[in-house]
Amino acid sequence: MTQFLFFSGKGGVGKTSMACTTAVYHADAGQRTLIVTTDPASNLSDVFQQPIGHAITPIDAAPNLFAMEIDADRATEEYKDRALAPIRAAFPPAMVAVMEEQMSGPCTAEVAAFDRFTDFLDVPSDAGGDFDVVIFDTAPTGHTLRLIELPVEWSRSIDAAEQGSGQTCIGPAAAIQDAKHKYERAVAAMRDPAATTFTFVLQPEATSLKETRRAMDELGKLGISSQHLIVNAVIPAEEAANPLFAARRTMQQGYLAQIARELPLPTRQMPLLAGEITGVDRLRAVGRLLFHHDATALVDLAVNPDAITPLEPDLMAILPRLLPDGGRRTIFFAGKGGVGKTVASCVTAVWLAHQGFKTLLLTTDPAAHLGDVLDVPVGDTVAPVSGVPGLFATKIDPKAAGEAYKTRILADARARGRSPASIAMMQEELDSPCTEEIAAFDLFIDYAAQADWEVIVFDTAPTGHTLRMLELPMDWSQQIDVKVFASVDGAQADEVAKARFGGVIELMRDPRQSTFAFVLYPEATPILEAARAVEELSSLGIAPGLVVANYVLTEAAATTPFGQARRAMQARYLAELPSRFAAPVLPIPLLPQEVKGLALLTELGEQLYNADVPTASGGSERQGSPEAYGS
Amino acid sequence: MSSISLLATAPAAHAQADVALYDPPMCCSTGLCGPAIDQSLLDTNELVVALKARGLHVERYQMASAPQAFIGHPEVMRLVRERNMEALPITTVRGTVIKSGAYPTATEIEAALEGASA
Repeated sequence: MTQFLFFSGKGGVGKTSMACTTAVYHADAGQRTLIVTTDPASNLSDVFQQPIGHAITPIDAAPNLFAMEIDADRATEEYKDRALAPIRAAFPPAMVAVMEEQMSGPCTAEVAAFDRFTDFLDVPSDAGGDFDVVIFDTAPTGHTLRLIELPVEWSRSIDAAEQGSGQTCIGPAAAIQDAKHKYERAVAAMRDPAATTFTFVLQPEATSLKETRRAMDELGKLGISSQHLIVNAVIPAEEAANPLFAARRTMQQGYLAQIARELPLPTRQMPLLAGEITGVDRLRAVGRLLFHHDATALVDLAVNPDAITPLEPDLMAILPRLLPDGGRRTIFFAGKGGVGKTVASCVTAVWLAHQGFKTLLLTTDPAAHLGDVLDVPVGDTVAPVSGVPGLFATKIDPKAAGEAYKTRILADARARGRSPASIAMMQEELDSPCTEEIAAFDLFIDYAAQADWEVIVFDTAPTGHTLRMLELPMDWSQQIDVKVFASVDGAQADEVAKARFGGVIELMRDPRQSTFAFVLYPEATPILEAARAVEELSSLGIAPGLVVANYVLTEAAATTPFGQARRAMQARYLAELPSRFAAPVLPIPLLPQEVKGLALLTELGEQLYNADVPTASGGSERQGSPEAYGS
Repeated sequence: MSSISLLATAPAAHAQADVALYDPPMCCSTGLCGPAIDQSLLDTNELVVALKARGLHVERYQMASAPQAFIGHPEVMRLVRERNMEALPITTVRGTVIKSGAYPTATEIEAALEGASA
């Protein structure tokens, strides 16, 4: 019987490393092992140091190991091609073109990605033979949950459709009957503890813990109970010699105790390593550490600290991209979860409000933790943040937005005197995964269209999701163009909608009004992911305005060989950022404590953005201020 | 990989419906999936629900999910080839096209049903 191992966790926690380590471990034990990523920003080829791509590929350095990256765009193309083949054969070209447009909608991408995902749960015997172990290096938490929730929701919506109006919101997903059995098998396999194990990868810190608990609960509700934990990046006891790591280690120990208390699951710990985890040899060594507590094979390279040149931020280039330029400034913080996007957006919003600009801080992240970082409650309506005059904050909760949207549509239908049968049918159609997407997007547009802000800071969702969100306006505009059939009433509604979305697209493209700030930390994977995100956005006519490099170790912090090794690794990556992204780079230092609360946010903002702060002997001095490191 | 065949899964186009609607491409039959709610689509849905409640056999076909239903009806395909999108939606009553380019009203359906059974 094939074992399915899912790796779940917020991006940046080391999920891919742990999934790959586990894959090599099983392959070395003689089991035929396949590792599949469904992450839109997948990076298996970086980890295994060989091209992989959209096909099952043998890993050269590990017999028995195979890997595949599911390319969401390509999956969508393949799905579209299959669905369009009979249409191409029979219909005139103008109509085929309309169908192609129609299939470019966000629903098709979701269905296509899900469809590929279930293919592997079905263990296709025609796709390279049976596997003993199939490992899914799944997408970041929010997206993972959506994918995992999909089988249940899609199945339900298919069932309802059969009894109801005969149509479903799946729309472009044509092969419903065919797929239904596959989806049911997928759900059954995920619920069977003999077949499937979910491993949550987390780090010993507040947001990671909170999101893991949330993810565990969600899976539990879906009847998925076989769950394990890997706590990654635990600072080793030897590092207590270094004040920065000592403070962080103390903090981590508190969270480790909390994890043991509150998340009672089989748990493994993985120490923070000085270097990165790439290549099969290193994955083997890490595997010995993870499964057998044997660190002998891990030798991190010694470095020469004098060879490191710290990265200096160019505030003259950075500030004009954050301050309003005559009109309103909208700043989008993009980046995979775990890179410190929320902290970067909170620091920036707090600083801008302190400069006297009326600022709205908004999150579209389904796993919102804006309130945790600000340390003040953030709700579903815009409210002032007490303690910072001029700062307002709110969050968009897709589930709540979906409910509100549903209620509004149904109330409108009742007011128009629709029959109970019609209302029931609408209710059924609105019970689809699409509704939340649309509703969240609708709110996003609402806020983007509000005129009385001088600055809007968007703490956007993790990368894959962010792109989907940001691509939505374009997708929907295309869908509206397709609606050549609309009645007068419908056409007017479309015109209004089109004007609304068109405005947002223009806003995003105009560098005088909008800044896309890409948040990463100086390691291979986050840089690659940010570069991919930049590329995707540039195809939509949006250029990067700023790169925020988070968790940067300063000289003062890197006093032990371990600290020096990590700082040297960071320096190599920091040096390549300005030319790689063609945008100014803002480094944010790694702090011993979590960035939490308005006082610390205010202080950090001044340290980052106030050009007139004295810099006695260079930037590293300014970054290494004593308050920041609590030495 | 499992292959997905639309031809194999399309609803049977040959079981003659009393009323058949050949819809334009859209996200779902109500139009609720789109960013703007189209009231005429809701009117049409109410009409369909009412007809079904009377025991009539009503089918709705979309190009994406039921291309065979289009292909299997020569008059529908002729209209589609001639007028492209403008031909849609097309309504047939007991196999005969009664309207093209807009959704039918209840009165139009009623008249056609009476005519067809007469």
